[in-house]
Amino acid sequence: MIVSKTNYKIANAHLTSRLKQTLVAILSVTFGISMYIFMNSFMTGVNDTQTGLAFSTLAHIRIYNDIPKDNTNLFKNKVDDETLVKVRNPKIIQYTEGIKNSEKILNMLDTIPEISGITPQLNINVFFRNGATKVNGMLSGIDVVHEDQLFGTAQYVIEGNWIDLDRRSDGILLGSGLAKKLSLRLNDNVIVTTEEGITKNYKVIGIVETTLASVDNTRAYIRIGFARQLISKNIGYVTDIQINVKDYNNTAALSEQIRQMTPYKVEPWQEANGQLEAANKLRNIIAIAVSLTILIVAGFGIYNIMNMTVNEKIREIAILKAMGFDGKDIIQIFLTQSIIIGILGGIAGIVFGYLVSVVVNHIPFKIASLETLPITYRSSDYVMAFVFGLITTFIAGYLPAKKASQVDPVEIIRG
Amino acid sequence: MEQLALSVKELNKYFHEPQTFHVLKDISFEIKKGEFLALTGKSGSGKSTLLYILSTMDTAYEGTLTINGSKLTGKAQNELAAFRNEHIGFVFQFHYLLPEFSALDNVMLPALKLGKKPVEEIREKALENLKLLGIENQAMKPANKLSGGQQQLVAIARALINEPTIIMGDEPTGNLDSKNTRIVFDIFRELAKERGQTIIAVTHDDDFASNCDRILELMDGKLIHQ
Repeated sequence: MIVSKTNYKIANAHLTSRLKQTLVAILSVTFGISMYIFMNSFMTGVNDTQTGLAFSTLAHIRIYNDIPKDNTNLFKNKVDDETLVKVRNPKIIQYTEGIKNSEKILNMLDTIPEISGITPQLNINVFFRNGATKVNGMLSGIDVVHEDQLFGTAQYVIEGNWIDLDRRSDGILLGSGLAKKLSLRLNDNVIVTTEEGITKNYKVIGIVETTLASVDNTRAYIRIGFARQLISKNIGYVTDIQINVKDYNNTAALSEQIRQMTPYKVEPWQEANGQLEAANKLRNIIAIAVSLTILIVAGFGIYNIMNMTVNEKIREIAILKAMGFDGKDIIQIFLTQSIIIGILGGIAGIVFGYLVSVVVNHIPFKIASLETLPITYRSSDYVMAFVFGLITTFIAGYLPAKKASQVDPVEIIRG
Repeated sequence: MEQLALSVKELNKYFHEPQTFHVLKDISFEIKKGEFLALTGKSGSGKSTLLYILSTMDTAYEGTLTINGSKLTGKAQNELAAFRNEHIGFVFQFHYLLPEFSALDNVMLPALKLGKKPVEEIREKALENLKLLGIENQAMKPANKLSGGQQQLVAIARALINEPTIIMGDEPTGNLDSKNTRIVFDIFRELAKERGQTIIAVTHDDDFASNCDRILELMDGKLIHQ
């Protein structure tokens, strides 16, 4: 609908003659749009922090050798239904643990372009001992360079040096909670005992603090080669292969692709940590619900003000109609007003929303690894806010405009 | 037929609120081009109601209305609006200008809506009309800063802007002093005579009415004199 110059002129006169009301209407749109932007930026910020934190130890896809499934009926599919089978207390006598010959899988994964990083791990359940204190934990044999590439573990090392792991065969990095429980400090010795009863003495060359208690309280790192030595395994033996992909929301298809290539269990992060994904989605729903509510309230504000304007200008509407302005002209005149309000309020709302986000991003919040409240700046939030704002003002403006177009001039002019 | 500006046949009008009331009863008449006509009658006789039907704004009636040879009964609101814009000029009892606009802008408005002439030409024509009514020095003033009489004159200038076939007035001189009434009357007389425009004015002013070419008088919804 092209607005004629004359109609635009009248709309403009209406807006400027009631500057205060116009300003209030613009402010209500500004508020709605800026809150939409802020709420969404904040929730995205929280989500990003949360997943960032989770991905400091969790890979996007994990490949491992799952223990065999339900084996209580060993004869299943081996005998027909007619035969009665009874096995008392079934046990699995032997199965292969871990992934042997990981080199082959690693080379294969290297050819997939969606993968951004791969690291092998050898995780062993062990006891850590220092004097009489004995703590159950997990010893991770890792590839020093690739591990850091995937999880950025080096940045969580609060004492010592991550890269030293590569240099010392008896060096170990302990989680901060684990070190505390064992009363260990840098350069102290710790004794590691495996399930098979093998014992080895290590020197603490670093302390790691990821702020995730489950990691800090149980985990220790050594180089993967030395871990293989500890449990007498060949080169190429790993328990886990951790994979990061370029877009972490996009793991399902890739997991399926990898499943075709290996006999091992391929597990995307959503499967292992459903609560993370659920929390993200729930927060997004809350953000959208709250911000849309605010926008709708702003819409009611505009509706109210435009309704008042129509009532105030009802004599002028009648005279315009008497002069030959038709219903379409009247709708144009009033709709133009609300769209101008919507556009001005939208622009102000984008600026104000950005400012609020910046201010909130500077509020100190020192819990876990956070320094300030998290905000993620996404241009799509700003575009969506503007679009939703315009739609709201359009609807809120159209109803009073429609009403104005239906004014009967005779009724008004005769009084 | 060519000479007829307006004709009405068997016009009947009812009000239904609060009770059904027969306002206009079987009214038929014809008005020639260039006639200067007064519509009189006592208060409540239905003369304003008749005028609003003639103006095409009120469409709830029985009978037929023809202006300038085109039958207007039964046409859609938007068509009627376009027709009014081009063929009918209107002056109301209570002036009704757009208060935010200057006197000049108010006068230009119907012509801008019609959009048949360039803005510059419309502007000149509007100034000329204001001059005709002796208020050209008020052209740039916002309408709400003018006195009641001046507003009335601006409204008359506005009614003339598209050179309509018919100019209708509901007490067009109701707010004017005798001097200005004289001016307006002379202008109307001149328009009718020189340009062949038809004037229909509802009036209470017997003096005004007696100087018109013709008087239509209504009583209780019936045409008693034409």
